[in-house]
Amino acid sequence: MTREPLPFDHRPDPALGAALRQALEPPEGSHAAFVARLLARVDDSRGAGSWDRVLARWARVGVAAAVLFSLAAGYLVGRATAAPGPSVAEALIAPRTPVVEVVLASVLGN
Amino acid sequence: MKPDSQPPEPAARIPEQDEAGLVARIRAGDRAAFGVLAERYAGVARRVARAVLGDPDDADDAAQDALLSALVKLDQYDPRRPFGPWLLRIVANAATDRRRRRKVRRVEQLDPALVAGGARPDATTEQRALSERLRAALAELPHRRRMAVVLFDVEGYSHAEIAGILGIPEGTVRSEVFHARRRLRVLLADWKEQE
Repeated sequence: MTREPLPFDHRPDPALGAALRQALEPPEGSHAAFVARLLARVDDSRGAGSWDRVLARWARVGVAAAVLFSLAAGYLVGRATAAPGPSVAEALIAPRTPVVEVVLASVLGN
Repeated sequence: MKPDSQPPEPAARIPEQDEAGLVARIRAGDRAAFGVLAERYAGVARRVARAVLGDPDDADDAAQDALLSALVKLDQYDPRRPFGPWLLRIVANAATDRRRRRKVRRVEQLDPALVAGGARPDATTEQRALSERLRAALAELPHRRRMAVVLFDVEGYSHAEIAGILGIPEGTVRSEVFHARRRLRVLLADWKEQE
C-alpha cells in the first residue's frame, strides 16, 4: 500500500479503502435509528401532502374571494374619486358665508 | 497499522437484481419497500455525506434529505440503469449544497498532535486515532477529491460511474483519486512506520 502508485491506478486499494471505511463508518447499530427517522420523515411529509391538498382546495376559494373583493373595492374607490367637485371658477364666484373669526377680527381691527 | 492485518473488505456494491422491483413497489406507494431500499443505501449515503461534511450530524441530515429527495424524484429514475449511482448523485449534491450553506464550519476538533503525527496512543485507541487522522486528512482535501476517493476505494464504484455521480469527466475522476491517494497514503505510511 505504501508503494508509490502508478498514475491513475485503476484498481481499488483495499487497505486504504478499509481504513477510510473505518474512519467514515457511523457508529455500529445506528443505521436502524437512521432509517426509522427517515421513515418518520416520509410519514410526516405524506401528512403534509394531505394538508397541502386541503389547503389547495381552500386556496382556490380564497383566490376567487380575493378577486371579487378587489373588483368591488376598485369599483368603489373609482366611483369616489370620479365624483365631480366644483371647478376653480365655480369656487371663486360661489357666494361664501364669512367665517365668524374673520368677521370678529375685522371688527376688532377697526 | 491494523487495516493491513484485516482481510480487505469487499467493495460495498449492492446487488442490483431486485432493485427495479423495489422501485416499482415504492412508486406504487409501498412504504416498506422504501424502508428496504433505505436500509441498503443508508451506509454508503452516510459515509459519502460524511466524507463531504465531516460532521456526523450534518452528514446524516444531508443523507436523509437526499433519500427523501430521491423518493420524491423516483419517477425520474430509469429502472434499466443501476440505482446506486443515481442515488449517490443526489447524495453528493445534497451534501455539497449543505456544505455551501453552512456558514460556520463545524468540523470535529482534533488533537493537533494526531493530525501532525504526534505521540502514538495506546493500543486500545489506536484504530480510533488512525480514523481521526484520516478524517482530518480527508478534510484537507478538496471536497470533490474526497468524494472521488471514497466512492472508488471505499464504495467500489468505477471511474466511469463516479464521473456520472459527480458530473465530471472520467479523466478528472482518475486525477482526483490519484491526488487523494497520494496524500492519504503518505499519512498511512507515516502511521505504519511508527508501529
